[in-house]
Amino acid sequence: MILSAEFAWIIPGLAVIAFCITSLFGKNLPYKGIFLPIAAALLGFIFFCLIFVDFISTGFNPTSVSIDWIVIDNWSITWGFAIDEISILMLGLVTFISLLVQIYSVGYMSGDSRISWYFAVHALFAGAMLALVLADNLLFLYFCWELVGLGSYLLIGFWFEKKAASEAAKKAFITTRLGDVGLLIGIILLFKATGTFHIPSIIHAAQNGAIPESTLMWSSLLLFLGAMGKSAQFPFHVWLPDAMEGPTPVSALIHAATMVVAGVYLIARMLPLLEIVPGFLTLVATVGLFTFLFAGIIALVMTDIKKVLAYSTISHLGLMVLTLGAGGLAAAMFHLVVHGFSKALLFLGAGSVMHGMNGETDCWKMGGLRRNMSVTGVTFLVGCLSLAGIVPLSGFFSKDEMLLSIHEGLGPIFLFITLAGVFLSSLYMIRLFCVIFIGEPRSEGAKNSHESPRVMTYPLVILAVFGTVLGVLALPLPLGDFEGLGNFIDSKHHFHLSPWITPLSLLIALSGLVIGYMCYGYHKISHHLVALRFGYLYKLTVSKFYIDEIYQWIIDKIVLSAARFISIFDRVVVNDTGVDGIGVSVLLSAFKVRLIQTGKLYNYAAAMGIGIFFMAVMWILASN
Amino acid sequence: MSVVFFAIAAILVISGGIGVVAARNIVYAALSLLVAMVGTAGVFLIGLAEFLALVQLLIYGGAVVIVILFSLMLTKIQDFEFLTANKQWPIALIVAIFLLGLLGISILVEGSATTTMGSTNISELGLSLFSDWAIPFELASLVLLIALIGAVVVVRRDNGEDK
Amino acid sequence: MELIYFQLLAAILFCIGIYGVLARRSAVLILMSIELMLNAVNINLIGYAAFSSFGSAHRNLGQVLVIFIITIAAAELALAMAIILRLYRNKNNVNVDELDILKG
Repeated sequence: MILSAEFAWIIPGLAVIAFCITSLFGKNLPYKGIFLPIAAALLGFIFFCLIFVDFISTGFNPTSVSIDWIVIDNWSITWGFAIDEISILMLGLVTFISLLVQIYSVGYMSGDSRISWYFAVHALFAGAMLALVLADNLLFLYFCWELVGLGSYLLIGFWFEKKAASEAAKKAFITTRLGDVGLLIGIILLFKATGTFHIPSIIHAAQNGAIPESTLMWSSLLLFLGAMGKSAQFPFHVWLPDAMEGPTPVSALIHAATMVVAGVYLIARMLPLLEIVPGFLTLVATVGLFTFLFAGIIALVMTDIKKVLAYSTISHLGLMVLTLGAGGLAAAMFHLVVHGFSKALLFLGAGSVMHGMNGETDCWKMGGLRRNMSVTGVTFLVGCLSLAGIVPLSGFFSKDEMLLSIHEGLGPIFLFITLAGVFLSSLYMIRLFCVIFIGEPRSEGAKNSHESPRVMTYPLVILAVFGTVLGVLALPLPLGDFEGLGNFIDSKHHFHLSPWITPLSLLIALSGLVIGYMCYGYHKISHHLVALRFGYLYKLTVSKFYIDEIYQWIIDKIVLSAARFISIFDRVVVNDTGVDGIGVSVLLSAFKVRLIQTGKLYNYAAAMGIGIFFMAVMWILASN
Repeated sequence: MSVVFFAIAAILVISGGIGVVAARNIVYAALSLLVAMVGTAGVFLIGLAEFLALVQLLIYGGAVVIVILFSLMLTKIQDFEFLTANKQWPIALIVAIFLLGLLGISILVEGSATTTMGSTNISELGLSLFSDWAIPFELASLVLLIALIGAVVVVRRDNGEDK
Repeated sequence: MELIYFQLLAAILFCIGIYGVLARRSAVLILMSIELMLNAVNINLIGYAAFSSFGSAHRNLGQVLVIFIITIAAAELALAMAIILRLYRNKNNVNVDELDILKG
């Protein structure tokens, strides 16, 4: 049986059903109901496979199905799902990663008292993301966008007993909210201009010049703002490192498949719209490039294993945004998938390390873990090398395609700056691996560390295998008219290698690896001396360029004092004068007016008589 | 000829009405009401409604005025003699005059298509009342019954009140 | 005879009744004034019935209506008198001047 694409809505539907049942009745079900979300994810993945096969066999026909939600006259708002190349790719990524992360979580979260809630929200989170990538109109997309935000809030703050966790959850929610407001306004602007939320219609209208130029510019800017918030682009990146307070599998899910890639997905989806605004893609590319380098530098000096990975994610999201800015839709989406797999692998590996170290996250207290945790070590290395872009892992192919797109779209200057980022990327990746897994144990915990249970290591192995072989998909394999994944996503894209960019990028990545290994694995170069040599710069970087402090200052001095002023305004003007004033004036006038009520029967009768007289007059006037 | 009788009846009605609203003594007011009722019965006669004229005399002249007099006796009102108008009597006068003006003007302006008067004999009226109007008639009797029972209930002395 | 005589007489009696309702102090007198107003309506109806040009069925209509009005008036009077008696027993007075517990 082949499931046709019209039934894609079942996949998020299953997740939502699992969420409802598990969150309401989870405690009373056997195994606390955790099997339901896993079953939903598994079924979702199976359905995805069926739909994918159907999609290929029917010749890549984008299909969409929609039902009317609000109908006013001949105008309607719909709930709609659309399947095309991008959404089916995202569908596969999200279902697969969330399935693996859920299986992994069975081991990682075992023994937690609120495990059924964890799995329920997990299902909601994944379901919202699935519905987001399937949505064919912006309003529905925005609903799912907010639901994803809610899911991340609940999961980051899952251990809300910890103050840091609840603070981080709030930070994530509020920071992304800044972008979300922009997104909403952008959507409303587009709706106002075109009268529809349907994405292809809006793009069509924009291409036909039906949207005024200024509206187009503002809405593009606001949509991009939303994407920046969700995808943690500078200056909205601050929430992502703090989001590490959540359970590690959640981080894997957020970083790999849901949440942060939503922003990239939105840009990819609306790329035809953004292209129309002159010079806008350069802005997108600049933001992406800056984030790519900025986060890469910070990742270089972080000591917390999850923070390194978090900044690495920000950096790679920047790279994707940069590529989209260069117009490389196919390359960016390809890297999104590859990065998703690699980053899920790395985070799950990090979770495994923490599991083996009893929750320790400072990587300077680890070291030599490869002896005790061989499976984790090998798979972690695969993830690191993939992200560093070493042949023949998948990261190499995606990075290569992206560099080509950047070169074609933006020219050599952007390319060379990006190559510097590539160097940083491989450097911090190998640093992380060396510090954790190579050398001598630097603490008691590292000596006594143990490998994680199989339910946790198997997903790692699966992800590592996929991370390795996924790159092959980029090649034009002899499978019918398949010309590489890039061509599948964007038919204008064709796989090719550049005679100088490919070797150069590989060389740069390898040099990053070698220098990193010299520094942290072999100790030929003392990183302490380097840090001392550039002491001021080092301090600046370790403090994450004081971005958090600047934001704190802005919040304390400007936002809170404005809030205080507004609260006084509210209390004095709105409450005392406005609300209470109306009440008091009613009371006072009532004291006066009640004297009309004399209680004397004949007064009432006189009022009646006068009333009747005037009514009669009016009636006579009206009848003539 | 009938105009003369109508004028006499009308004078009775109006003088009786003015007596009701102007008399200082409440018993005089009640007697003035009787005069007005008798005048009304005369008007009914001229309007060729002999049965209703009879009913008017019986019910208003016989029953209503007597009930009012009885209630005056039962309430033992002391200030029979000093009935004055209340403070808002000028307003009342203005309202009444304006309303009268309004009604008079509209009646005179509209005029009426004068036709010959037709009479209804009592048997016809009775047939109509007990065939076409049987259900309203029975309902009216029910209303009357309920009103009388209600009156008894309202007036009845409760235990404890009767000291 | 003309219909207009009946109408004018009814109007005059009705306005006298209105004045009585609005100007008198005693509840009993107000009640009597109401009776005057009801009679004014009856006179009007009788007039219309007599001058009706629609045949005997409609002539009956006016008289039947008068019968009902008299019935309802009697019922109303009985209840009103009962209330007045009750009022007198509770307040020792039937002047509507004194009955101002509804005063604001």
